[in-house]
Amino acid sequence: MERRDFIKGLLIGSLAAGISPRLLAQSGYPELAVVTGESPEKITRGAVELIGGMKRFIGRGDRVIIKPNIGWDRTPDMAACTNPEMVKTVVTMSLEAGAKEVIVMDHTINQPKRCYIRSGIQEAAQSAGAKVLLPDDQRLKKVNLKGEWLKEWEVFVDFLEADKIINMPATKVHSLSKVTLGMKNWLGAVGGSRNQLHQRIDEAMVDLAAFFKPALTILDSYRILFRNGPQGGRISDTRLMKTVVAGTDPVAIDAYGATFFDFKPQELLFLQLAASRGLGKLDLEKVRIEKRTV
Amino acid sequence: MKREQSKKYRQLQKLRIVSQLAFFAIFFFLFIKTHYGGADYLTITVERFFHFDPLLALTTTIGARLFFAAFWLSVVTLVFTLIFGRVVCGWICPFGAVHQFFSFLFKKTRWLKPKRDDSLSLAPKYIILIAVMIASFFAVNLVGYLDPLSFLYRSFAVYFTPFLNMAFSESASLAYSLGLESLGQTIGQALGNVALNSFFQNALVIGLLFFTAIALNAWKERFWCRYLCPAGALLGLFSRFNVFKLKIDPEKCINCHLCSIQCETNARPFPIGEWRSSECIYCETCAAICPTAAITFPLKWKAEKIQGVNLSRRKLLLTSLTTLFIAPIFKITPHRQRAYPALIRPPGALPEEKFLDKCIKCGECMKVCPTNGLQPALTEAGPEGLWTPVLVPRIGYCEYYCSLCSQVCPTGAIKELTIEEKTTVKIGTAFVNKNRCLPYALGQQCIVCEEHCPVSPKAIQLVKVETLTPEGKIATNLAPFVNVNDCIGCGICENKCVVVDEPAIRVSSIGEKRSEKNRLLLQVNTQNDSQE
Repeated sequence: MERRDFIKGLLIGSLAAGISPRLLAQSGYPELAVVTGESPEKITRGAVELIGGMKRFIGRGDRVIIKPNIGWDRTPDMAACTNPEMVKTVVTMSLEAGAKEVIVMDHTINQPKRCYIRSGIQEAAQSAGAKVLLPDDQRLKKVNLKGEWLKEWEVFVDFLEADKIINMPATKVHSLSKVTLGMKNWLGAVGGSRNQLHQRIDEAMVDLAAFFKPALTILDSYRILFRNGPQGGRISDTRLMKTVVAGTDPVAIDAYGATFFDFKPQELLFLQLAASRGLGKLDLEKVRIEKRTV
Repeated sequence: MKREQSKKYRQLQKLRIVSQLAFFAIFFFLFIKTHYGGADYLTITVERFFHFDPLLALTTTIGARLFFAAFWLSVVTLVFTLIFGRVVCGWICPFGAVHQFFSFLFKKTRWLKPKRDDSLSLAPKYIILIAVMIASFFAVNLVGYLDPLSFLYRSFAVYFTPFLNMAFSESASLAYSLGLESLGQTIGQALGNVALNSFFQNALVIGLLFFTAIALNAWKERFWCRYLCPAGALLGLFSRFNVFKLKIDPEKCINCHLCSIQCETNARPFPIGEWRSSECIYCETCAAICPTAAITFPLKWKAEKIQGVNLSRRKLLLTSLTTLFIAPIFKITPHRQRAYPALIRPPGALPEEKFLDKCIKCGECMKVCPTNGLQPALTEAGPEGLWTPVLVPRIGYCEYYCSLCSQVCPTGAIKELTIEEKTTVKIGTAFVNKNRCLPYALGQQCIVCEEHCPVSPKAIQLVKVETLTPEGKIATNLAPFVNVNDCIGCGICENKCVVVDEPAIRVSSIGEKRSEKNRLLLQVNTQNDSQE
């Protein structure tokens, strides 16, 4: 609590002194906030506040869309989907920051309603005041992604119409891209024959990550899936890390997430590609990381 | 003489229409509720109507030599009919209501012009009943094709649900094209919540049969109920007392024949003494329409000699003998001798013989299946198995945490399973077709099937495969390898395979838990091993 009060004080003080939060961000805030603790809510709040608070990312009257991973018909303890309490916290924080509307949606793999319910995300997000939308094929629109491999693809207009996007991936292993974190999460914002994207999965991930520009990425590493990814199936496939990683650099976040599984970020093809295209920093030693425990 | 219709019976007739509407509404409500509503277990017995059907109770019990407990409820119908006659047909049966409604429309459009002294025999339904019963003694289940509830439900599940889905998604797209964004979105969300299955094989035949059954009402009023319905025939046999007996006051009767012309089921209220109590469904039309209010239904307890349908002993005997010879034809099929690859039954389905004895092809399971994967069989299950449910993974896979089909089966052909039980039921086994699989055949990376495999540890494991390309290079990729002991045959791999037309990984029925013959690897009993 002391820390939170301190940060709040800092923010209020800086506003009073007439310094814009953005300017402050460049000077004072860490690039990655890594917060660990027992409560998913507290560590989520802690991480967002550590990198400048939700108001730094969400403006008054913004239409916000949150993209958690709701891909699978799995309960939260299977770590296949994003932690529902964290989604709830981010919905609350967005509304506190002045968002006009908060939408939560994902293009699931199992039947959407099953995933929305069993993951606990629908109930959690709705209770915080979000509009939870099932993916609707009629709201797909073919857009020019301007990617290096993916030129045109169908995207849900809900993501195009939002003022701000918040990416809330889960932390899991994957047989092809090795890990599925923030960049892989964008496969849930598109339609079309998604199973074809696996043929060059790393390039697809980078093209999509370059297209969707989230205001903020909050990586749920409360419980991570280290085996039988990306949907697990047994609690023994998961490990408690009780951690949230927040930031605006999609490469740095995924690089950090990869370390949970003892991967060296430089080993992962999609991270190499993303870094070489200037999407962010791959070398974690050059990233300003601040770790906290709450 | 004072000419006035009976107010009382006109009221009663209206009440009957209200009752028909109400029961149809209940039927339709339960029909729509037959879907995943957000809970793993359905809270209402959506298949309840079937349990009140004595024909289904009798035939499936005889056929399977097994009594399904919920069918005790059909005794209610029988006792009720025994005392009051076929009130169920006239006031409750939802399919009867459909026929009544269309007969009414056809009369209004003058396509249907009821004749005086219609002599078309009402016997076929009794012949059908006998045939169906005798067939069930030979464990050939024919009842599902002509039982009114089965017929109606199946038609609704296979034809009407896709129709609704089409109608709603078309209106959503219309709304979008008119710029009514939020309306389109509302419809889209509602559709996502209700999940109406939209693709069925055999929908053409099932749909056309439904329309034929309806169109026949333009020829004779309530054609189905009069001539075809075996359930109505059974109730006809049981309508023994008919405590409310038709009575015509000869003082008032002006011999206009109107009652007999307009009788919904040709039960001949007129001439006096010719009333066929076993055909009367108490629709009250005759009493309401009589211009002099000469017809009443006073209470009279005495059992009367049934003025039944002319069905001679010879006809009965011949029917029985014919069925005796025809029924076994359905069983002369190699399906009985050897398992078929495409015959993937829903989890919880009884062993095939028992399953066929019990399945009434009602389509409850097809309606509730969240992925649309359960389809009415055409040839997969042999002649006996026409329209029984089969899983067609190319259309939809079996959701891992779903046991809804086993919960809605009205006859117990699919044994009710908990979610925990269901996840252990193997319904088939997946096999990779290396000639079409991307890593094997094209040297391309893919692993989509492995990603989707729901069991842990995954039944689809990955192996490194080297493929020689025309350029002389060796492409090394991860390729699927099915661990058949872990595979439950859910078919999500086949469903999601990128080779959409003829998937490179396909599920067949081999290894299904319910069969003792359709097995693959000889299992070593590990329990015994550890003891030794």
